[in-house]
Amino acid sequence: MTLVLLLLVPFLAALIVLTCKQSTRAVCVAMSAGALEVIAIANAVWRIRSNGVLQSGRYLRADGLTAFFLLNVGLILSLVLAYSIGYLRHIPAGRFSSPRWFYSLTFLFVFTIMAVYLSANLGMLWICVESTTLASALLVGFYNTKGAVEAGWKYLVVCTVGIAFALFGTIALYLAAVRSGVNPESALDWAVLMNAAPSLGATGNLIKLSFVFVAVGYGTKIGFVPMHSWLPDAHAEAPTPISAMLSAVLLNCAMYALLRFDTITSHAIGSEFSHTLLLIFGTLSITVAALLMVVQRDLKRLLAYSSIEHMGIIAIGVGLGGPLGLFGALLHTFNHSVAKSLMFFTAGNVRENFGTLRMRRIQGMARSMPWTSAGLVVGSLAIVGMPPFGLFISEFMILTAAFSASRYLIAILLMVSLSIVFGALLHHFQRMLAGKRVDVPVKLKLLPSDFAVMGVCTMLLIVLGVHIPGAFANLLQRALVVLQ
Amino acid sequence: MGLIELAAAKALASSAVFLFITLLMMASAKRISTCIVLFSIQSAIMAAEILAMAYAGKSVGAYIVAALVIAVKVVAIPYALFRIMKDLKASQDVASSTTGAQSVFMMAGLILLSFFAVAPYAKTLRLDEDLLAAAVALLLAGAFLMVSRKKALMQVIGLLVLENGIFVAALTTTYGMPLVIEIGIFFDLLMGVFLMGLFVFRIRDTFEHLDVSKLRRLRG
Repeated sequence: MTLVLLLLVPFLAALIVLTCKQSTRAVCVAMSAGALEVIAIANAVWRIRSNGVLQSGRYLRADGLTAFFLLNVGLILSLVLAYSIGYLRHIPAGRFSSPRWFYSLTFLFVFTIMAVYLSANLGMLWICVESTTLASALLVGFYNTKGAVEAGWKYLVVCTVGIAFALFGTIALYLAAVRSGVNPESALDWAVLMNAAPSLGATGNLIKLSFVFVAVGYGTKIGFVPMHSWLPDAHAEAPTPISAMLSAVLLNCAMYALLRFDTITSHAIGSEFSHTLLLIFGTLSITVAALLMVVQRDLKRLLAYSSIEHMGIIAIGVGLGGPLGLFGALLHTFNHSVAKSLMFFTAGNVRENFGTLRMRRIQGMARSMPWTSAGLVVGSLAIVGMPPFGLFISEFMILTAAFSASRYLIAILLMVSLSIVFGALLHHFQRMLAGKRVDVPVKLKLLPSDFAVMGVCTMLLIVLGVHIPGAFANLLQRALVVLQ
Repeated sequence: MGLIELAAAKALASSAVFLFITLLMMASAKRISTCIVLFSIQSAIMAAEILAMAYAGKSVGAYIVAALVIAVKVVAIPYALFRIMKDLKASQDVASSTTGAQSVFMMAGLILLSFFAVAPYAKTLRLDEDLLAAAVALLLAGAFLMVSRKKALMQVIGLLVLENGIFVAALTTTYGMPLVIEIGIFFDLLMGVFLMGLFVFRIRDTFEHLDVSKLRRLRG
C-alpha cells in the first residue's frame, strides 16, 4: 500500500490539475499534491529503514537503494514546485502551455520516475524509463518556439533509439538467465536474478553483450559523452523548473537503472568488465564536457554540460568500485542534484530579469540582482567542488578511491577536468557578475518562496559539506549494501 | 502432428527471407506511403512467426502477443501514419541523401554484415541463425533509414523498423518475454508514435517544413 500510494498520488494529481481552469487553483492543487507526495515518500523511506525491503505484489519493490533515490526525488520535487510558483508568472497562455498543463505534465513525469524506482522487474524498469522520455518530451517542447520544438524532437528520437538498445541488452540478460535454468516467468525479477547471478557466469559472453547494450542505452539517457547530443538542447529549451528536474532527477534515475544492471553483471562475471566500461564512459564524459564548457555562450547550456561532467564523475566513482568509490558516487548524485537545482533556479531568475541567457549580454548582475547573484556564486563554488560544500567531500572520496586503487591516469584526468571546469565557470561568471549596473528590461521581484528555495539548497550543501548527518549516512550505507 | 510442427518450423525459417525482402524494398522506396505499407507487411510476417510459434508451443500468451502485433503494428500504427500524411498534405518524397541504387547496395551490405555478426552467437547458443541475422539486420536497417532519410516521418518509420528488430531478437532467442512486459512495451511504442506524430505537426507549424536536416539551430 505504501508503494502504491507513491504512484497513485502523482497520477491522480496529473488528472485533477488538468480540470482546474484557473491558474491559482491549479497552483493550489499542485502544491497540496506535491506535499502529499513528499509525505508519502517520507513514509516509504521510514518503513524501508525499519523493515529493510518493501514488496507489493510481483511488480513493485523498494530496498535501500530505492529509498536513497526516493529521498532525492522528494527533495528536488518540493524545491521545484516551490520555485515554480514564482516562475509561472511568465508562462504565456497558449493552447497546451498554461499552468495546468505544466503541472499536469510535471506530475505525469514524476509518476513515471517513481515507477522506475519502484519496479521490481528489469523489463518493467525498461518500460518505465522509456515512459519518462515520453512524459518529459512534451515538457521540453513546452514553449512551442522553434528551439523548443527542435529540442523536444531531438530528445524524443535520440532517447527512444538509445533506450531501444537497452531493451536489446535486457533481452540478452533474460536469455542468459533462461539458459541458466531460471524460470522464464520470473527471469527478469531483480531479486531472482540477484540470487541466480553467480550461476549466470557460464553464459559470460551473453552477459557482456547485455551490459554493453544496456550501458549504451541507459547511458544515452544519463548523457554519457558520445550519446549526449540531446542533453544540452533539452536542458536549455525546457522551462527552468523542468531543466532542474531533468538534471537533478531524470539523470539520476537513468543512473539508477544502470546501477542495477552493473550489480548483476558484477555478481555474474566479476566487476572487471562492467567497471572498465563505466570508467571509459566516465572519463570521456568529464574531459569532453569540461572542454565544451569553456566555449559555451548560453547559461543553461553551460549548466547542462556541467551535468554531463558530473554524471561522468559519478560513473567514475561506480567504476572504481569498492566501498569508498561507491559511497562517493552515491553521495555525489545527491550533492550534485542539490547544487545543480540551485544553479538552474538562479538561471531562471536571470532569464526573467534580463530576458536572455546569452552570457555575453548579461553584466552587472551583482549590483542589479544581489540575491540571485549570491545564489549563483554559492552554486558555482559548490559545483566546482570547493569546501565547505558537499560536492567537495564526494569528489574527494572518488579521487581518494582512484589513488588507492592506483588508477593514476583516471585521477589525473579527473583533476585536470575539474580545474578546466573551475576556470571555465570563473571566466563566464566573473563577466556576468561584475561590471556596471545596467538597466534591466523587466524587473520581477523575488518571492519569499524563491528565497526559501535558494536558502534550503545552500543550507543543505553546507551541512553535507561539514558533517553528513547520521540518519542520512545510515541510508547511504543501506543503499551500498544492495549494490555489493 | 509431427508434420504440422515441421511446417511451422519451415515457415519460421523462411520468414527471415521475407523480412530481408521488405528491407531491400524499403531501401529502394521513394514514397513515404510505400514505406508505411512495407512496415505493415513486415509486422504481418512477424505476426505469422508468432502464430506459428504459438501453434507449435501451445501457449496462450503467444496468441495474445500475435493479436497485439496485428492490432498495433499491422493496423493501428500504419493507419495513424497514413492519417498524419493525409492531414499534413506534405509531399510523398522520402528525401533520401543516398540514391536508390546506393541505398539498396548499403542495405545488402548491412544484411551480409548481420550474418557475420551473429554467427558466433548462433553456434554457441544453438539458435536459428537466419532469424537472428534478420533481427540484427532490422536493427541496422532501422538506424540506416533514420540517418539517411531527411523527412521526420521517415525517422519514425526507421525507429519502428529498429523496434521490430528487437522484437524479432526476443522472439528467436527466448520465444518472447513474459506477457506483461510485452504488453508494456507495446503500450510504450504506441504512445511513442503518438507523441512523435504530435511533434511532426508542431515541426510543420513552427518551421513550415518537415525536413529534419534543416533543424540545426541548436548545435554544440
